[in-house]
Amino acid sequence: MKAAIRHLLRNRRRSILALAAVIVPVFLLVLVLAMVGGMERDMFLNTIRFETGHLQVRRESERPKGGALPLIRDSAALVDLVGATEGVEWYMVRLELPALAASPDRSVGILVQGVDPDRVKRISPIYRMIEQGRYLEAGDDGVVVGVQLLKMLGLAEGDGLILLGAHPDVGMGVARPAIVGIFNPLDPELGRVIVQVDLAVAQRLVRAPGAITSIVAQVGGVDGPWDAWKIDQVVARLAERIPDGYEVIGWAELAPEFAGFMRILRPLTYGIMVIFFLLGGFVVLNILYLSILERTRELGVIAALGATRARVMSMVLSEATIIASVGAVVGALSGAGLVGLIERLGGIPLPGLYTEMMAMMGMETVLRLRITGVEIVLSALAMIVVAVLSAWYPAFKAAKLEPVEAMRHA
Amino acid sequence: MPEQLLLNTIDLKKVYETKGASTIALDGVDLELHAGEFTAIAGPSGSGKSTLLHLLGGLDRPTAGEVHLDGVALAGMSRDELARLRLHKVGFVFQAYNLIPVLTVLENTAFTMELQGIARNERIKRARAILAELGIEQYADQFPNRVSGGEQQRAAVARAVVAEPSIVLADEPTANLDSKTSLALIEMMRRLNEEHGATFLFATHDSRLLDRVDRLLTLVDGRVTTDEHR
Repeated sequence: MKAAIRHLLRNRRRSILALAAVIVPVFLLVLVLAMVGGMERDMFLNTIRFETGHLQVRRESERPKGGALPLIRDSAALVDLVGATEGVEWYMVRLELPALAASPDRSVGILVQGVDPDRVKRISPIYRMIEQGRYLEAGDDGVVVGVQLLKMLGLAEGDGLILLGAHPDVGMGVARPAIVGIFNPLDPELGRVIVQVDLAVAQRLVRAPGAITSIVAQVGGVDGPWDAWKIDQVVARLAERIPDGYEVIGWAELAPEFAGFMRILRPLTYGIMVIFFLLGGFVVLNILYLSILERTRELGVIAALGATRARVMSMVLSEATIIASVGAVVGALSGAGLVGLIERLGGIPLPGLYTEMMAMMGMETVLRLRITGVEIVLSALAMIVVAVLSAWYPAFKAAKLEPVEAMRHA
Repeated sequence: MPEQLLLNTIDLKKVYETKGASTIALDGVDLELHAGEFTAIAGPSGSGKSTLLHLLGGLDRPTAGEVHLDGVALAGMSRDELARLRLHKVGFVFQAYNLIPVLTVLENTAFTMELQGIARNERIKRARAILAELGIEQYADQFPNRVSGGEQQRAAVARAVVAEPSIVLADEPTANLDSKTSLALIEMMRRLNEEHGATFLFATHDSRLLDRVDRLLTLVDGRVTTDEHR
């Protein structure tokens, strides 16, 4: 080991190059994983806030997806069951239906969300986006709308918004709540499509007092998609106990496009990083191979003195292990250090152009980073494995040297 | 007169094939060497001296014939078996010293013992002792490039004898040394032979060394032409 260290110190420039070939991929991997981790968490949490919750209980329906959800007219027992299920941390009822929003001279297709204003704040960020007026209050006969929809209809705060609900279970219903608040989301589509009313207003719209379309629940201890197994457990638990005619739907099924994106994000990241790792490994291979060529005579002497092939190989591999270990640790620590610094400074603010794009993907406008200690350690270990495997060929060539031939080498 | 047969060859041949042409380096060498001998092989350049040493030390394989070292036939041994045989039974001294540049003189001396798996304290103790005996203890912590050629060759001899091999094969050990240093080295090896019973076989045409050996073999065109006991 001492000899290996001295060999590395003997040609410092080359050793530094080899170190860099190990440090850079590990550093980048830690940084990229932290960015991906932050994006996953933002997207996961925000999607859940806007749309789905961790799980929903609905009435089973033969209708195609995307249409109006079937009504649950008597939900009390079902709500109690969800609330009493182990792992469920929070729940609320919601009534969603497609509707037509109209002003005296214009109309637009929208989605009405009937909610309990006090409880919905936990998952819906709309109350935080209120730019004008106020958010809903319990028993409110008002509506909050996006600034985009408001512009399309040519209405203002205080005006009545005509909502024409059409539900296949009950036919048509009309309501005309007053606009009490205007929200301005980063994603303009959200501001164009969603309006929120008190649950009672929505029930009036479907002419079904007490009706809901879903129970939305959140599971405790979920910080991102990596905790999705906890949700799956609760979904399975609830599915066993739910009465016939109802279904429990997990987040992945509720937001399939998002779940699909989540499924490819990591493999895509790993795929790109594999290329970096292989490049790093290739540099290590070349540098060690050059080193072996330069030391042909010395290796011949070592073999002549009685070193077996395994011994010669282990000498070369120990050099690779030193380079790989030092480089991987430096790369991992510097990457983790930068991630920690960025997080301490509050994340990476995204420039305006990206802000809308990120918002559309359900992300925050400041990119937060997240990486676990296990990911950092695995990043370093992966590079050590790649570098040592890359050294295998030069080590094998060294072990195959014939002592007499090698000692003739100048 | 030493009696124990240490090394013998039977009709040993080595032919090099290069670009369709055959070069006979050794042409039927029969040789017996006994423990404790201090022997030299002399002969002109290209007579096959180094080739014979390589075959005797298991560094190379003969085209035909047999080599027996300490009663063990080298033919049929695998590469690693030959390595282990060299490690435990043969010490080498090369013309160009061939110390490992990243190891100190002490570490170089202890290197074969390290390969043998001898405990660190023991090998350091033995290495220091032999360096002291050969008069280069003061260079123990120097790297080879910081000491003279003569001192490097002494260190190489120390490395060759420290693990007490059955035989030390030395290929032109004085060729790169000046006269005074050569003489000192020859005397040192002679003393190791006389005091410790170390067996030496040299390939050399250094007359100073040839004058000091007990037995002189002459090799011409790959054949032993004379075998002179003194």
